[in-house]
Amino acid sequence: MTTSTTPTITERWRSWRGVLGAAGLIVVVAVLIVLVSGVRNGGRLDIEATSPAGARALAELLRGQGVTVTQVTTFDDAIARAEGSLLVVARPEFLADPAKLAELAARPGARLLIAPTPPVLRALAPGVTARPGAAETVRDPGCDLDAAVLAGDAVTGGWSFGGATCYGGTVSVSGEVTLVGSGTFMTNGKLVENGNAALAMNLAGTHQRVTWFAPRSPLGVPDGGAKPLSELIPANVGWFVWALVVAVLLTALWRGRRLGPVVEERLPVVVRAAETVEGRGRLYRARAAHDRAALALRQAALARLTPRLGLTATAGDDEIVTAAAARTGQDGGQVRQVLFGGTPSGDAALVALARDLDTIERQVRDS
Amino acid sequence: MALTGRAALLAVAGALLVLAAPADLAAVAFWLVVAVIVLVIAVDLALAGSVRVLRFERSDDLRVRLGEAAEVTLLVANPGGRRVRGLLRDAWPPSTRPAPREHEVDIPPGERRRVATTLRPLRRGDFTAAGVTVRALGPLGVAARQGSHRVEGRVRVLPPFLSRRHLPAKLARLRAIDGLNPVQIRGQGTEFDSLREYVVGDDVRSIDWRATARRADVVVRTWRPERDRRVLIVLDTGRTSAGRVGVDPASGDPSGWPRLDWGMDAALLLAALCARAGDRVDFLAYDRAVRAQVSGGGRGDLLPALVTAMAPLQPELVEADAHGMVAAVLSRLRRRSLVVVLTDLNATALDEGLIPVLPQLSSRHLVLLAAVADPRVAALAAGRDGPEEVFDAAAAERQGVERRQVTARLRRHGVEVVDALPDDLAPALADAYLNLKAAGRL
Repeated sequence: MTTSTTPTITERWRSWRGVLGAAGLIVVVAVLIVLVSGVRNGGRLDIEATSPAGARALAELLRGQGVTVTQVTTFDDAIARAEGSLLVVARPEFLADPAKLAELAARPGARLLIAPTPPVLRALAPGVTARPGAAETVRDPGCDLDAAVLAGDAVTGGWSFGGATCYGGTVSVSGEVTLVGSGTFMTNGKLVENGNAALAMNLAGTHQRVTWFAPRSPLGVPDGGAKPLSELIPANVGWFVWALVVAVLLTALWRGRRLGPVVEERLPVVVRAAETVEGRGRLYRARAAHDRAALALRQAALARLTPRLGLTATAGDDEIVTAAAARTGQDGGQVRQVLFGGTPSGDAALVALARDLDTIERQVRDS
Repeated sequence: MALTGRAALLAVAGALLVLAAPADLAAVAFWLVVAVIVLVIAVDLALAGSVRVLRFERSDDLRVRLGEAAEVTLLVANPGGRRVRGLLRDAWPPSTRPAPREHEVDIPPGERRRVATTLRPLRRGDFTAAGVTVRALGPLGVAARQGSHRVEGRVRVLPPFLSRRHLPAKLARLRAIDGLNPVQIRGQGTEFDSLREYVVGDDVRSIDWRATARRADVVVRTWRPERDRRVLIVLDTGRTSAGRVGVDPASGDPSGWPRLDWGMDAALLLAALCARAGDRVDFLAYDRAVRAQVSGGGRGDLLPALVTAMAPLQPELVEADAHGMVAAVLSRLRRRSLVVVLTDLNATALDEGLIPVLPQLSSRHLVLLAAVADPRVAALAAGRDGPEEVFDAAAAERQGVERRQVTARLRRHGVEVVDALPDDLAPALADAYLNLKAAGRL
């Protein structure tokens, strides 16, 4: 008489293994595709990144020329490797720690600063003035610098530097320090255009070793700046939030579990019988069918009146009018107008007709 | 598997512990808390009683009148080795309003417990149990095993037979007719009962001269109303029977009660009355096929048989087949009988359906057509406030005119028509039957 309808673990495994297998297969295939295609995400001018804003293409080109390119993301690594190599400052906006910046400036070595911010410029290329806002367009070299002349036209812009002449002042080479107004021409996306690749190679390939300083998050805080929010929060708050997530999950499982399946029931059809009458009334109204409405009201009133007047259903109009006028004491012409008159001219006339019919009926009933 | 509020509470307490822990031990504390929660849930689940092994027994199928409460009992046996403590839900369709929704159960191993659920159905018909779900808590009350069982069970909700309150009055009238001895109206088919002495007040036409000549006294024949007539009640379950009229007396739902249910109510009163009057009652529900039928065999169990046959009937959304209905009626009746058709006085449906085939029926049987009128239409017809209400009133009057016309047409065919508001239909139909009986027209 009783049968358990809850599946056993074996049955559950049997019914779910197909779904789980398919999901696993999808994950494995997705991982394989990512691994094979070698897509690497990363920030702008990151030599690991294969996105249009990354700089992996330039790094690979340099390595092809026998240059050792090493990416560093911390001040300490950059300081340790600065000597004897070309230090490329790819993300100067992340270098906010003034003490470390000064330490880095104290190290000897060549530098390539890409779109340097004023603090970085002051520290690593003192004495150079820079103005922002140069449009990023294709420019011709316009100077006799070998690197520029050999490369030809290139996309430059961003900062323009005082005293520089190459590319409208957006590229400045003075001794060991090279300044570039914008790193756009070095990105994967723009490298193939014009002489971008050549210019980038000429500027970055001057040394056998390149230290590519591209932090992925801000390093340090500027002078007088407040501590970032993340350092003000105690370390165990993060774990506390995770514990709360667990609590919310358990609460959801507790409240979400139904005691048995939803019971379904065949619902009856609900048709109110008066709907057809209401629909017909609305049709009369929509078409302003005063004639039909008046006819129906008069027919119904006559059907009730004639037996009360002592007449048969075959009685003529005149008989009814005479009898009704006699019973109600109203004028015969008026009674005829109400019972057998013309079509009411509008809504108001129809309402008046209905009331007049009621009056005659009531007077006949009460007399 | 199911969790309880204690599991969530445990997790919240754990979260506070993580917050209070030293900063360098926060990660350890978090994983420790997670491990403890998982362990507690696992232990509790392992120690909870098994739901799968439970055995259920249900009381027999129930019958209940609409508007009354039925108690379904369930016997739960626990043959397992562990105590089953927790919640039990005996699920029924929502319109049967099972209460309580869930029961607290505590069944030690090897014992049985009885669980009673009260149903207060809102609808007529057959309802089957949807299943029994048990949630067995572990000893710690943190987690529970949950499982469902299918346990057969059925409740048949019968028509309420509200019009039975009119039965005593109608029976009194029937006895009055019975007591007219001799019957003053000597219609055809009135049955001879016996001879007795003349008393002052007797109709002189009932004096039996032949018997008087044999004896010293004047002797009259006595008559009694015909008995053993056949009455066939035909219930139309076609689309017009779905229309809702009046107020649902079972739930107070203002959207109304289907014409079918009002018709059943009237049919039950009529059947009860006919059975007392000694007539044989048959019942037929028809739209395009025979939906239910009862042949009036034993008179004692006529009403139970009728309500049982009526209970599962639902309006079918098809046009009733009048031709087939007449054929079904004719095939069931040999002798002249009273055929009571419970349908709607819908001019279009009758013109296209019943009226063309009516002569076949009315030539051989006495036909009584009963229909329920809509009080809402009557209310609409009285509306006079503004043009909208007057247009509605005109539409209602138009329907009234059509009903009167179709009634007149039916009467010309020799059909008796009863057209009454929902609450008055059953007594009006009973009165019409009694009038026919008093007039000896059956």
